[in-house]
Amino acid sequence: MPADDLSILLLTLRAAAIATLLILPPGILAAWHLARRRGAGRTLIETILSLPLVLPPTAVGLLLLEALRRSGPLGRLLDRAGIEILFTWKAVVLATAVMSFPLLVRPARTAFEEIDPRLLAMGRSLGSGPSSVFRRVALPLAWRGILVGTLLAFSRALGEFGATIMIAGSIPGRTQTMALAIFQRTQIGQDASAMRLVGVTVVIAFAAVWTTEILMRRRTQKAAA
Amino acid sequence: MIELDVALPLPQFHLRVAATLEADTVAVLGPSGSGKTSLLETIAGLRPKASGRIALGGEVVMDTARGVFLPPERRRVGYVPQDSCLFPHLDVRGNVCFGMARGARAGIFDEAVAILEIAPLLDRFPATLSGGERQRVALARAIATEPRLLLLDEPLAAVDPLLKGKILPYLLRVRDGLEIPFLYVTHNAGEARAAAREALVLREGTVMFAGAPDEALRSMSLVDPEARFDNILSGLLGKPRGIRETGSLLVGEAIFAVPAEETARPGAGAVFSVAPEDVLVSTRPLEGISARNVHSGKVISCEASGATAWIRITAGGLEWTARLTRSAAQELGLVPGREVWIAVKTHAFRRLR
Amino acid sequence: MPKTGFALLLPTLLLTLGAADPKPELLVFGAASLTESLQELGKAYEATTGQRVIFSFGASSDLARQIQAGAPADVFFSADTAKMEALEKAGLVRAGDRREFLSNSLVVVVASNSKFRLTTAEDLVNVPRIALADPASVPSGIYAKRWLSGLGLWEKLEPKVVPTLDVRSALAPVENGAIPAAIVYRTDAAIAKSARIAFAVENGPEILYSVAPLAGSKNSKAAGEFVLFLSGPRGRAEFVRRGFTVRGAQ
Repeated sequence: MPADDLSILLLTLRAAAIATLLILPPGILAAWHLARRRGAGRTLIETILSLPLVLPPTAVGLLLLEALRRSGPLGRLLDRAGIEILFTWKAVVLATAVMSFPLLVRPARTAFEEIDPRLLAMGRSLGSGPSSVFRRVALPLAWRGILVGTLLAFSRALGEFGATIMIAGSIPGRTQTMALAIFQRTQIGQDASAMRLVGVTVVIAFAAVWTTEILMRRRTQKAAA
Repeated sequence: MIELDVALPLPQFHLRVAATLEADTVAVLGPSGSGKTSLLETIAGLRPKASGRIALGGEVVMDTARGVFLPPERRRVGYVPQDSCLFPHLDVRGNVCFGMARGARAGIFDEAVAILEIAPLLDRFPATLSGGERQRVALARAIATEPRLLLLDEPLAAVDPLLKGKILPYLLRVRDGLEIPFLYVTHNAGEARAAAREALVLREGTVMFAGAPDEALRSMSLVDPEARFDNILSGLLGKPRGIRETGSLLVGEAIFAVPAEETARPGAGAVFSVAPEDVLVSTRPLEGISARNVHSGKVISCEASGATAWIRITAGGLEWTARLTRSAAQELGLVPGREVWIAVKTHAFRRLR
Repeated sequence: MPKTGFALLLPTLLLTLGAADPKPELLVFGAASLTESLQELGKAYEATTGQRVIFSFGASSDLARQIQAGAPADVFFSADTAKMEALEKAGLVRAGDRREFLSNSLVVVVASNSKFRLTTAEDLVNVPRIALADPASVPSGIYAKRWLSGLGLWEKLEPKVVPTLDVRSALAPVENGAIPAAIVYRTDAAIAKSARIAFAVENGPEILYSVAPLAGSKNSKAAGEFVLFLSGPRGRAEFVRRGFTVRGAQ
């Protein structure tokens, strides 16, 4: 693999991994609370959290761009704090994190919902407080769903394009991920080198989906047992 | 002492229970859907919509009028639900240890494991256990938390007929060995009579009866069509009689012929159960009958419930319950005080312990 | 057991987190048409000064928009002066160090094996589609539109126009045969492998590049020096070699 391709791959993996790690704690907590709550508030929150899934990624990108723009309120705050996000690798992480969030939350929420609430009640009755029950009962019972969500989020993060190009641009070596590089190379007629990157993404996507499928199957088998 | 004055809205009716239970063993009886499980969950703190007051051994764990509602983890109540609710991701050891506090009494784990005879199961996962094994593990798990009160929801007889009654001997050991009082939901009035010193009969969320278990039976037959009235006999094994095909059981003054067992040791304690269907009733002395256990006695009471008549009889120094068809009871004229003979086949004695 | 899955993720993480943070490189935003020459000069500059230079190439309009939004670039090299002026007005450019010395010209290209015989602007009417960088914003597209409007041909040709992101992405579809003709810079045509110049635009609009260090640069000394290097003899020589026109004395 040419050094350029390797550095693009590493940059992409790194951004996707950091984004996935970043959304894990809030994602799992959001999934847990969505699974436990009922009512109109829940639907509203769920809809808001799902927006990145249904909005065009460029729309999400533009919203983020507006929010973080130097002249905007949030941008000014960040500027004062000396934090640069737009068009840096942090913007790649931010864009992919936002876009991947619902993909983590959905399967995790389903996994939490599938837990027999009586098991959670049992945990309480056996002397564990709510957070301890979450840690000792809910998490271990839902881990497969959480893992599936994590892999889905990670895969999405690897391939995110629209929101990333809006707020991170396509700066080689800094913000240019696989998806952006493929697009950019095609645009300037370097189809062969773009195809090389496509090959790499196929391998990664294959591995991620394969792992997810295996875990899903084991999960259904376990449910049947 | 359990002081209850609680209310809980349920889909079909309101659960309203006001009772002060003094005994260390309380049977909660009543038909399916009468609110028994809801009552246990209310005491355990698992019903946030419950209101009223609950005091366990003098400590108030709930008093909604004063804004007191201890969360379940602070009530120190060991709850064993109907379906055991074992944690599927933990092995038996993990389940039993789940609720053990950091400063748990040394040996409580071993004690729970020994009393419930689950040592061979420790490394297995709940999915591989039988219903009875699960129930024992769940009971061990509850005991390991050193609760001040055990709440036990008996598995429905319909779900697992073989399991019914099997947990009783273990329960008695827990009560007598560890001195943990318990509240015990059952359909089996016979068991309740054998195990409990006080009974609470519920119907549609209200208390029909609270008091001595013997007296509870009367209300039971009226309110619970599924009620069981197994005769529980607890005594000592005697020397095998005859050609060793029959064992004997000494209960008080009476001797009963019971199935012989290879392992039976004379002098050992044993508990047997006899289904009320297996108790034959005659108004004349019985002769020329194959049944080995024939005793004379008197009818105490006769309750009709649907097509069934429940006859309570004292015979051989024990109180028996026989199940007859209503017409048979009428034809025989089984009224209180009537002299009768009962006959029980050897193999109707089912060993519980 | 539950850990195996997450264990898959961990090595990936360590591997990627291990990659160092960006070094204090000089980040130069350059018009797409400057790709080869700037890359060459960046290497030469690093060789003499040790300062590493990295580039982001694209439409000058896109790059200007990114700088406006706060992109952490050190130097901007635009294919026109309008974008630079807009940034200067916003206070994002070190105006005193701005240099305008580079020019270019437009050509019409067709695929090497094209059957179209194009010699004048009027001939473009016979072509079904023409690729050019978005005439609404990208400099080369704006220049092309200005040229054709001057000839009174724009309205007739506009429906045939396929706007692209930048000048290089107008060249690519001609090379792979997707679009029969494109209007690009002479310097772009020079690097094309399977496209040839049909004719060069004469009396076209004036094309003037603009380069300046940016006010927000964290490496402003190096930024200024690199601009001087580009406009100096070494830079000019490279641009001339690539087919650009260099103006004025040094």
